[in-house]
Amino acid sequence: MKYTPRQPESNVNVTPTSPLREFFLLTAGLLGVVIVIYILLGLAVNLVVPRISTDLENRIAGLFIRSIEAKDTASEREDYVQSLLEELQERCAQLPYLFKGHIRQASAVNAVALPGGHIVVYTGLLDKVASENELAFVLGHEMGHYAHRDHLRGMGRAFVFITISALLFGTDSNISKMLAQGLTITELSFSRKQETRADEFALETLNCDYGHVAGATDFFEKIPKEQDPGKFGHYFASHPESYKRISHLEDIIRSRGFKLAERTPLPENWRQSKN
Amino acid sequence: MNNLLFFLTLISIGFVLGTIAEKLHYRSIHEREKKFLHLPAVTVKTVHYPDEKVKSAELVCGSAVISIDYFKRFLASLRNIFGGTVKSYESLIDRARREALLRMKEMAGDATVIVNVRIETSTIGKKANKKGVGCLEAIAYGTAMILEK
Amino acid sequence: MIITNIESVPGKTIVEHFGLVSGSTIRAKHVGRDLMAGLKNLVGGELKGYTQLLHESRQQAIDRMIEQARQLGANAIINVRFSTSSVAQGAAELYAYGTAVRIK
Repeated sequence: MKYTPRQPESNVNVTPTSPLREFFLLTAGLLGVVIVIYILLGLAVNLVVPRISTDLENRIAGLFIRSIEAKDTASEREDYVQSLLEELQERCAQLPYLFKGHIRQASAVNAVALPGGHIVVYTGLLDKVASENELAFVLGHEMGHYAHRDHLRGMGRAFVFITISALLFGTDSNISKMLAQGLTITELSFSRKQETRADEFALETLNCDYGHVAGATDFFEKIPKEQDPGKFGHYFASHPESYKRISHLEDIIRSRGFKLAERTPLPENWRQSKN
Repeated sequence: MNNLLFFLTLISIGFVLGTIAEKLHYRSIHEREKKFLHLPAVTVKTVHYPDEKVKSAELVCGSAVISIDYFKRFLASLRNIFGGTVKSYESLIDRARREALLRMKEMAGDATVIVNVRIETSTIGKKANKKGVGCLEAIAYGTAMILEK
Repeated sequence: MIITNIESVPGKTIVEHFGLVSGSTIRAKHVGRDLMAGLKNLVGGELKGYTQLLHESRQQAIDRMIEQARQLGANAIINVRFSTSSVAQGAAELYAYGTAVRIK
């Protein structure tokens, strides 16, 4: 066989495409799909959550109530918090929940609302509050979360999303991890609106129970020095900056004409108490 | 957030360095292919030369292992969602095979033709077959016919 | 373009050859096909989605090989061989190579 040496003009086996263009196209496509699913999920969750009855929620909570109660230790502060909760509930909030306060040892200046009406308050917060009004505001804020079923909303969306991504890409693929992180960011900013509404609820409850709103902003004025995340971190922090919350509450106080008066003190030996 | 930045840095490094490495490799491949243009590789088995003319017939082989950069791997995993041609891997396989062929021709020395050429591809490396390709190996082998002058 | 798997094109003579030509392609499935395949795993039977995917890949690989042969001035490809390998997870790579010749 005679051989004629020739070379092909072009490389048929490689498509002449710019990889950057493909990268942006695919990433944009993926983001588009994710955003669409997110919006649809948001609508779905908004439809479903109000229909979850408190009875069902209490039953679900009943599953892990025992593990929570096992860690409770009887203390004066826990009784005090419980009686304050019951007073706020009976006189003003009147939500369809049986609220129960649980105190936990931790330096976090925070309180958490768990399903079923269980409010966990950390000793870090208890040590910081200076008046009964301030504590009542914090408790009222948590009750506000229950009133709007906030604790169910955030959980629902994130859960479905992560399940879908785990099904499609596997649990330890890069895309799953990035999705989980992105979700944490967006779910946190979603909860900022919820936090503001919970603040408003707490203000109303405070006014209703005490007749005035002294102590409402005390708590936030204590945060700036230690926990304010600063300009850059504010997007990633779950709570809106304290000064925004303070000014928002002050606006409401002014527009609604709420009064200020003497704060009710906390019981003696509050800070010396062990729990 | 840190994770995302780290990931983007890896991707950019992969893209920049990978593209440079690929261009250099292709340039080298083109030069050598021109050099070896006189030595054809064919897949036919039959040998047309009469026995006296054949000095020797030897097995020659060449292999190359090419690895992927991070950018291309990420692109391929995105492609896995939407389907279609994984363009980022095409150049990888192409380079591996052409390199293997060239190395086989280099081993052939002053042969006239390499007959019954076969090319095999496989994936090796820790991550092979699990989460994408670690490295790709291409082997080309054939029989080099050295003829009497 | 005549393509054969044997050493010659029966009934024609080979005038000259141009060496090795090859065509390769690598295609990925998309999540839709994956889901259907997962479901089919329960029931059993032909995975039509994958069959179609591989068929298209094979067609594209052959087309590329023909294109390269045409660029060399050939009008037939003899002794064609195929090779498949799994290069990336979820992607099928198909490779076809043969000798490009001109027949009369």
